Amino acid sequence: MGVRDSHGEMTGTPDPVDRGFATLNTIRIGVKAMVQKDGELRKAEILSIRHRKDGPSFYVHYVDFNKRLDEWVASSRIDLSQEVEWPQPEKADKKKTAAASKAAPSKNVTANKRARADSRDMSQTPDILGGKNLNIGKASRPSKAGGKENLGAETPGDTSMFPSEAVSTVGTPKATESEDFEMADAAAESKSVKEDQVQTATGEVITRGEEIERLRTGGSMTQNPTEIHRVRNLTRLQMGKYDVEPWYFSPYPDSFSDVDLVYIDEFCLSYFDNKRAFERHRAKCTLTHPPGNEIYRDDYISFFEVDGRRQRTWCRNLCLLSKLFLDHKTLYYDVDPFLFYCMTTRDETGCHFVGYFSKEKDSAEGYNLACIMTLPQYQRRGFGRLLISFSYELSKREGKLGSPEKPLSDLGLLGYRQYWRETLVELLIEPNREAISENELAVLTSMTEKDVHETLVVFNMLRYHKGNWVIVLTDQVVEEHEKRLKKEEIKGARKIDPARLQWKPPVFAASSRTWNW
Amino acid sequence: MTRYGGLGRTRPKKLTSKASIPVVRESDIDAIDDDIQSSLQQIETGVEKAEESEIHLQRAINATAQGKVNEAHIPTPETILSNLQYDELYPPIFSQPATYIRFSSTVEDCCGCPYNMTEEDDVFLKIMNEKRDPSAGRCTEDIFEEVMNFFEETAQIKQPYASIDNPPVLSFAEMQDMMDATLEDPMKIFAKEIYEHWKSRRMAVQNNPLVPQLKFETGQDTDDSDPFVCFRRREVRQIRKTRGRDAQSAEKLRRLRKELEDARELVALVRQREVARREMLSVERQLFKQRCEVKEMKRKLNIKDDDEDLINQKPKKRVLDMPPQRPNAPQLRMPLKAGQGAEDLQLLEDVQAEKENEILRDIKQNITKHIKWNEGYVDHTRAPLSPSPERIFDVAAFRPAFTAQLPTPPSSESSGEMDTSLDVTSPLFSRDKLTSHTMELHDEPHRMPSFRRRVGRGGRLMIDRRNMGPRKVDMDPFKADRFKFDQEDSDEEPDYDTDAYSIQIMQHRAITMAKAREQAAVAAQAHAQAQAQAAQAQRRLLEQNGQHQGSTGSNLGPSAVSVSET
Repeated sequence: MGVRDSHGEMTGTPDPVDRGFATLNTIRIGVKAMVQKDGELRKAEILSIRHRKDGPSFYVHYVDFNKRLDEWVASSRIDLSQEVEWPQPEKADKKKTAAASKAAPSKNVTANKRARADSRDMSQTPDILGGKNLNIGKASRPSKAGGKENLGAETPGDTSMFPSEAVSTVGTPKATESEDFEMADAAAESKSVKEDQVQTATGEVITRGEEIERLRTGGSMTQNPTEIHRVRNLTRLQMGKYDVEPWYFSPYPDSFSDVDLVYIDEFCLSYFDNKRAFERHRAKCTLTHPPGNEIYRDDYISFFEVDGRRQRTWCRNLCLLSKLFLDHKTLYYDVDPFLFYCMTTRDETGCHFVGYFSKEKDSAEGYNLACIMTLPQYQRRGFGRLLISFSYELSKREGKLGSPEKPLSDLGLLGYRQYWRETLVELLIEPNREAISENELAVLTSMTEKDVHETLVVFNMLRYHKGNWVIVLTDQVVEEHEKRLKKEEIKGARKIDPARLQWKPPVFAASSRTWNW
Repeated sequence: MTRYGGLGRTRPKKLTSKASIPVVRESDIDAIDDDIQSSLQQIETGVEKAEESEIHLQRAINATAQGKVNEAHIPTPETILSNLQYDELYPPIFSQPATYIRFSSTVEDCCGCPYNMTEEDDVFLKIMNEKRDPSAGRCTEDIFEEVMNFFEETAQIKQPYASIDNPPVLSFAEMQDMMDATLEDPMKIFAKEIYEHWKSRRMAVQNNPLVPQLKFETGQDTDDSDPFVCFRRREVRQIRKTRGRDAQSAEKLRRLRKELEDARELVALVRQREVARREMLSVERQLFKQRCEVKEMKRKLNIKDDDEDLINQKPKKRVLDMPPQRPNAPQLRMPLKAGQGAEDLQLLEDVQAEKENEILRDIKQNITKHIKWNEGYVDHTRAPLSPSPERIFDVAAFRPAFTAQLPTPPSSESSGEMDTSLDVTSPLFSRDKLTSHTMELHDEPHRMPSFRRRVGRGGRLMIDRRNMGPRKVDMDPFKADRFKFDQEDSDEEPDYDTDAYSIQIMQHRAITMAKAREQAAVAAQAHAQAQAQAAQAQRRLLEQNGQHQGSTGSNLGPSAVSVSET
């Protein structure tokens, strides 16, 4: 595996970890403890603590598991019989400089990526690396922090553009542990420089000790703002016929974090924290499909094209909703420069939103897709594949090669790899196909040459054999292909039929492409 | 790469994207190489680095790599069916149109009043309606929402920064200003009561909006770190200059293309027209031929009728027997009856001549009128309307020295002088001027300058001319004066040389030479015959004189000038 970034260093280096026993009273945010999960003990980081009548509960992130599995656990599930890892205030300073200097010269790519992610992040921990006199509460965006130490990591961030929504980038740009060490670092800084003072989100200046006390005794959300976005803020979602559990933080109104159930209107995607209000709204709302033009229809699904600029409210609602399930999506900027292609299923009540992908009106980097999401209640039914397929169908219509914006989420990666493999194998397995270039494959599929090449490599299909390159249809992919054909014979193939796509690539004047505020 | 070295292999060929790669089945190749292949290239997943190591993802990646696709599963939180009364909330009102849906209404357009009642409001509304006199009417939910929405919106307008500076809740008096304009009368009745309720609710939330709002930027420093702040405006991106230029040139190209397109279309239409015309001509030609045959037949069979079948019924459209001329109806009959045709033709000529005469008469009249107007005046302007009398020359100039644009009507002076002030070669030169001029020239044909071009030895081009007028004519006196000391203008210098070729001067020269010879002869003869026979000698001398003069006069004839043209 490639480099593991500072995150890897943190755990990999022999730096002594500050270990020790903790009690329920001394345990605090940033501590890593062993937590019972599915019958086993997993290392987990405490991200938030709340106190209720039945005792404290802890919001934990399981190390090396996706954040969608983060959860509130009762104190009883934390194994305090084992030592916990304390956040490392003393070490951090030295380490951070080391990390920074290492990141800059040797791992430019990662450094860039990180920095870029940082700069876009809406809720990002400030890059405390350089900000000696910054305290936690007053975190500024990294591009503004003016230390010399972080120049290496930061300058690329400054020059990078801000594509607003990344498929996934940026909600939580940092490796949890690295963020943790920065936190700790900041704590150390403020300890030495600011005499234990920190500023809370509300702006009052309190000492570190007071803050911890407050975290322990007060509500969960008064803590340091950099932590907020790491904690899921909605508990449950009512949408259409389903109750859905959100996966990640989304900047719905902050009072929504206090209610148990948030109601989402299935058609206009408006949100309500009050059932009666939601019902009243439903009585008035007349939308029965996404508010745009239908550009594709078959007997199974429809696609609607919605312009972020014309349907600002709806698209904002959509983004808020999808942020609940996309970790790396950012809502930092507005929706204007995007088009939203929404997939729906139909019944007599309307066109039900199933999933969507967004696409920049004008992508400087040739991305044909920015964010892609299938609602959890519709997942694992092949909708994601249809969405991906549709995005390439649009690219074909445009006569362009395209690729999704990076980074991908874990599910996104699997979905794309599957689509890429199946699409390529379908072409390669055609009878009379004796030879083909990567470029031809790219043109036929609208995939970029890079994606074609990498897919072939990943599935071990591109090999060097007796001094020549060959594409090998491995037994494995052939078998997969045949299985799929059989399945489609039984269940019927769900495919995008290009003939049903009524769409011309929209043309935007320069003024509407830019952010015309 | 070192691996290949270790195996005694050469580094693999570079693979270009254009290179055609053979497609084979696994059974077609040896399996030996597999180990090396798998570690051939490290492919980036595109997933955030820090998350690449996540256990479920790694498991899934490995599973797919081994072909166990079904095991590539990443657990996600469960979704369950809701116990909400879905059918009540989402009535089956959707009917799919036959064509694809086109829709542009916004969420705001479709949702009615943005304020939605809560349970708390329900309770208040119920109490309020009970308290009210039933005859005075009840407040419906819709009205209640409208009024509440009005309060919310007004508060938002009047206290846009309520979330920052915490002003007191807006008073009812302040509300009333806005109320007249927005609220309908039935709603105003309830406004006061509802206001109290609204106020109490606002107080409960520290004068924040009752409906939870998204957090947008406030311009404060805390914005950036606040995870709830979303949908910021984009900072205005500097539009790259090259972009603008691109757009501009694209626009230009587009316009150019359009123009070319238009031109092409025009040409196509012209072509179409000409093709149609050609067709018409050929048809007419055919018609004419057939008529000829008909005529012949008629003559043979001696059929006599009005010959209507030999002419087109529409008089304008005639068979074109003589291509470019305007075909006239009488001309058609020409070959038929010679006498009548000739008459007709005569008539046309007469008409034309008459018209011509009329024009000429008119012109002459104008000329004389013009002269009369100017009688007694001497026009000393630069280019006089009627030239001053002393500059009248009767010989046309060979070459106008300059061309002057006349802002006034052309001079009506009927002399060669006009050529000096008018550009003869210009097509603008009016027709009547030309006619009058030719007429003048006809009066004195021997005075007309004439030219002959010939090719001399070595291909030299010669132009012979005769009857040239004195060059001085070319010069406007004012201009001549201007050029008097202008040595650079060598073009104008030969003006004086050409005088030598003037007929008058040559004549003069010839005469003086003849006179000298004559005198010499006279002297010699006088010596010989002396005083005797004086009368006889006198008579003979007179004869000789006449012969001499005649010979010199004939010698004067053509004066050859060689003009070498470049």
